[in-house]
Amino acid sequence: MTDTSVTPEIRARRLRAGLKRRYAREGRFKLYGLLAIGVAVGFLLLLLGRIIEQGHTAFYTHTITVPVYMDPARVDRAYPQGTNFELLVAEQQLARMGVADDAAGTKAAAMRSLFSSELKFAAAARIQRNPDLIGQTVPIAAPVSDDADLFFKHEISRDTPADQRRISDEQIDWLDRMKASGQVAAHFNTGLFTKGDSTEPELAGVLGAVVGSALMLLVTAFIAIPLGVGAALYLEEFAPRNRLTDLIEVNINNLAAVPSIIYGLLGLALFINWMHLPRASPLVGGLVLALMALPTIIIATRSSLKAVPPSIREAALAMGASKTQTVFQHTLPLAMPGVMTGAIISMAHALGETAPLLLIGMVSFIPGIPASFGEPTGALPSLVYIWENASERAFHERTAAAILVLLAFMIVMNAAAIFLRRRFERRW
Amino acid sequence: MKFNLFRAADGTEGGSPAAPPVIAAPPVVHNSAPMGPTKIAARDVSVFYSGKQALYDVSLDIPDKTVTALIGPSGCGKSTFLRTMNRMNDTIPGCKVTGRIEMDGDDINAKSVDPVLLRARVGMVFQKPNPFPKTIYENVAYGPRIHGLAASKSELDGVVEASLKRAGLWEEVADRLHSPGTGLSGGQQQRLVIARAIAVEPEVILMDEPCSALDPIATARIEELIDELRERYCIVIVTHSMAQAARVSQRTAFFHMGRLVETGDTEDIFTNPRERRTLDYITGRFG
Repeated sequence: MTDTSVTPEIRARRLRAGLKRRYAREGRFKLYGLLAIGVAVGFLLLLLGRIIEQGHTAFYTHTITVPVYMDPARVDRAYPQGTNFELLVAEQQLARMGVADDAAGTKAAAMRSLFSSELKFAAAARIQRNPDLIGQTVPIAAPVSDDADLFFKHEISRDTPADQRRISDEQIDWLDRMKASGQVAAHFNTGLFTKGDSTEPELAGVLGAVVGSALMLLVTAFIAIPLGVGAALYLEEFAPRNRLTDLIEVNINNLAAVPSIIYGLLGLALFINWMHLPRASPLVGGLVLALMALPTIIIATRSSLKAVPPSIREAALAMGASKTQTVFQHTLPLAMPGVMTGAIISMAHALGETAPLLLIGMVSFIPGIPASFGEPTGALPSLVYIWENASERAFHERTAAAILVLLAFMIVMNAAAIFLRRRFERRW
Repeated sequence: MKFNLFRAADGTEGGSPAAPPVIAAPPVVHNSAPMGPTKIAARDVSVFYSGKQALYDVSLDIPDKTVTALIGPSGCGKSTFLRTMNRMNDTIPGCKVTGRIEMDGDDINAKSVDPVLLRARVGMVFQKPNPFPKTIYENVAYGPRIHGLAASKSELDGVVEASLKRAGLWEEVADRLHSPGTGLSGGQQQRLVIARAIAVEPEVILMDEPCSALDPIATARIEELIDELRERYCIVIVTHSMAQAARVSQRTAFFHMGRLVETGDTEDIFTNPRERRTLDYITGRFG
């Protein structure tokens, strides 16, 4: 029996009204989604834009070329390193520009502070290579000092009150004159990529930190990936399901959520204080990061093993493959793209991790470029931290540049992850 | 209640009088074929999943060189019984099998029997075609490889070709042996899987609803193949389709609620069942 109170017309109207509400809801949801994505992209662009805006100036720098008269009275043939080339050059430069100095030599000192200390080493190296240059005039090229560099990059302006900038009006005049005379040239800052850390901003580079981070990641990868994948394989494919394995599973999930600084403390206590491994070394850093990456790798591997269709396992077992053959010939290869992705994403996390490095001594000033796993080294995130805290203004642009290098490192790793996934993925 | 309906292995029990078929099954054509001696003998086999009984005291003789169909409604235990014969139930946590299953007189559940070796003698084909995500060649070569059956590459090539020929797939794939097995059609995949199973020269082939994911033409092709394979192997097939059971099998066992209700010559089961439940099932009154 049909309900006479609900006529077909009423039914149709109700359906239409309901439909309208349903579509409105869908529209609203889509809008929220777009808004969320918009906000996320906006913040990302803001962040990137800010970093690039701050950091792009660090990628070029200024060099000054000065003709140096290698005064035989002041340059010692046997020990050229002992010569105060900076002062020598400053005095000659002043004379060339027709500026008279006072008795205390304050102008020479002011001029000298416009050159990098690199000038001294460059000049001494020339004499060491060829002592016959003494008595001649030799053009020497060296970076300008960080403040002069900032002035040429318009980071320091004449309009700033003189007591709020680190170079005086007179020095600014000299810089302008030297630039006008063609002694100053801007070029790509190769030193940023070929040098280790330095207390002089114009001489500081990220290479030490990049090598340190790379060595550390090697250690992490070699320890965390085999251990993590092995543990996941055992837990997922071989271990019986009981209280103990449940407990282990819960704990692995908990470990993945432990703050990274705790891992730093663990590493400090275990690897440095107890095992006496060298402090601040890529070995210790890599071990700590491996501990941190393990739970993530185990979880990612297990979930990609779970995603392998059971029909493949059954097929292999029914063919008489042993458990191990089934796992290594079928399950694991099929899970490989997921395993790779999980592993590389956790490596990328490890790369950016700073807190544990603080505790194992990696936030100290380490100018060298590590050549082995046992020497002290910096790492990219800790370099960012150190430079950000430095008082010289010129370090600020370099901080942003270091962040950009770190981001580029991560992009390379993620690209590798995508490439490997494509490579291993069987699309058939 | 005990069903003691085993037919003597030599088939002396004879056919039933020509009763009119109770369902409109296609003509049963294979029943005149000779049957081999008993290959597998199950005695009082019960299966428990985590303590819950799924199969109750099944005793059944399965003759060699014969297709035996296991029929029954969903959840009746026919697949469970099938999987006891190659010990695939071992792989399910919490699964326990009691009773005795003999293959050529030897207990397959004995401690001395390695399930890996057993499965080299008892092949299995699943409901959903499950070729490995490898090439056609690699799929067929897999079994001989892991069991070390082929001594050389040329020997392996021969095994692959013979198996594909026997599975009726050779003509279709001969020119693309090194293309992915998963790129074949559903019916071809199922024949590939059969080729993979027979590449290790098993004695028994278990088929768990091998045609339920296939279209009628592919199904017909597989059924023809099953009929050809019967000459060399002992075949046990689980099927939901009574018409298929009637078409391909010589012996039929009807399962219901975890018990074996009736077993006999396929023709007898379909034309003259002894049990009320069998009649109700094959006439579509439940199931």
